Amino acid sequence: MRPLPARSPLVRRLSQTVAALPVYHGSVLADAPPAYTEVGVRYTQYAEDSLSDDKVLFGSPDRYDIDITQLWIEAPLGASWAVALDLQNDYQTGASPWFVGATADGSPGVIMSGASIQDNRVEVGITTRYFWADGNAGFNVVHSKEDDYEALAWSMDAAWNTNRNATTWSVSASSSHDTVEPTQEKIPVFIDSETLDTHSLYFGVSQILSRTAVVKVGLSYTYSEGFLSDPYKLRDQRPEEHHRYTLATGLRQHFISLGGSLHADYRYYSDDWGSKSHTVSLGWVQPFDRHTINPYVRYYSQGQADFFSPIADLTSNHYSDDYRLSSFGALTAGLRWTIELGDWIAEAQVERYVSNHGWSTYSGDEAPALVDFWRGTVGIIWRFD
Amino acid sequence: MILPKLSNIVCVTGLCGLGALCGCATVEEVAPWDRGYLAEAGMQWDMLAREAKLEGHVYTSKEASSGGTGSAGGGCGCN
Repeated sequence: MRPLPARSPLVRRLSQTVAALPVYHGSVLADAPPAYTEVGVRYTQYAEDSLSDDKVLFGSPDRYDIDITQLWIEAPLGASWAVALDLQNDYQTGASPWFVGATADGSPGVIMSGASIQDNRVEVGITTRYFWADGNAGFNVVHSKEDDYEALAWSMDAAWNTNRNATTWSVSASSSHDTVEPTQEKIPVFIDSETLDTHSLYFGVSQILSRTAVVKVGLSYTYSEGFLSDPYKLRDQRPEEHHRYTLATGLRQHFISLGGSLHADYRYYSDDWGSKSHTVSLGWVQPFDRHTINPYVRYYSQGQADFFSPIADLTSNHYSDDYRLSSFGALTAGLRWTIELGDWIAEAQVERYVSNHGWSTYSGDEAPALVDFWRGTVGIIWRFD
Repeated sequence: MILPKLSNIVCVTGLCGLGALCGCATVEEVAPWDRGYLAEAGMQWDMLAREAKLEGHVYTSKEASSGGTGSAGGGCGCN
């Protein structure tokens, strides 16, 4: 039998923070604070492909590059508590689509916002968690600040085990208050300051099926009210309310003969803007001595919002030419690698994301500015008593 | 239309999978001392918490959907 994992319950739950509610709560492990202090740092480079010249009417075809640094420390406090501090810095440069116009033959073409836009985002988060024999409860606060956007968010969650710890029930609630104050730089913007409030609820349950399989299902609802348009897009007028629903399920199946584990996840999403999506993710985790290899793939299929059109229809109450609201499909393929060296863990990851209008299972109009990107990460963690 | 039919197929397949996982699957009673495989790092819902957080933020920024897996964290960073 393999040793228990070195990851703490707090680390697993730190991913379940604010704006989008988590599906995956709970654990098949005993509820207890981490047995050690952990310090970690990760660096990620995110790079979008340039748009092809035939899709750009004006401006540089180059898009966004982002350098992301994550730092954290977490530690047990006494016998029943744990606390974690997370810092993240995102440095962004590049350009994004400003609006979509018509080429000489009438087909849509992108007018870019212009190159050399720069922005820096700093996020600070604090999480505390209390553990008891049959469960745990956490509280998380996050503040995010960039040149033109500020957000303050909190979340609370609780998980408790029943049925001899074979069933874990989870609930959580979160809320965020965002303020956008667009900077007047390369392109004109038409607002000074707007706000957005978002509230979310989640309920889920996980069940041990056997000594090698566990399954989970969860429902979430998110309500947003306020300024939901993109101030940096010329033709973007969205409703001031947004209701979002998700149904997600997942399976973890260990194969004893292979010594590896299968990850299978599915999410259905629907909202009152008319968007729907399916997301399917599959992964395989294979340990080799001190190494662990984790290849994974993800397929995403999205249907367009009711008010989307490739060239925005300005006669409607709501309109947008934002490619993110169009019908498209996307494929992701990635590989993660970790190695444990005593108290140290090193990780590396590379991922490719490619989107295409024809890959969607939904009908709809094609947006000319769909994004493809690369993402690469290196990181190191130190654990000590 | 072929595409909406494909959409329905995917949806029905997903729901059938969900039913198989949650309703039809056999549930064995597993003693606490027999949960070693379940406790492995590779069997956790999110193996790397910070990666799950970042991944959620990236996808939420580039797609219309959000929620359900991982998290997006605070702030926008969504150009």
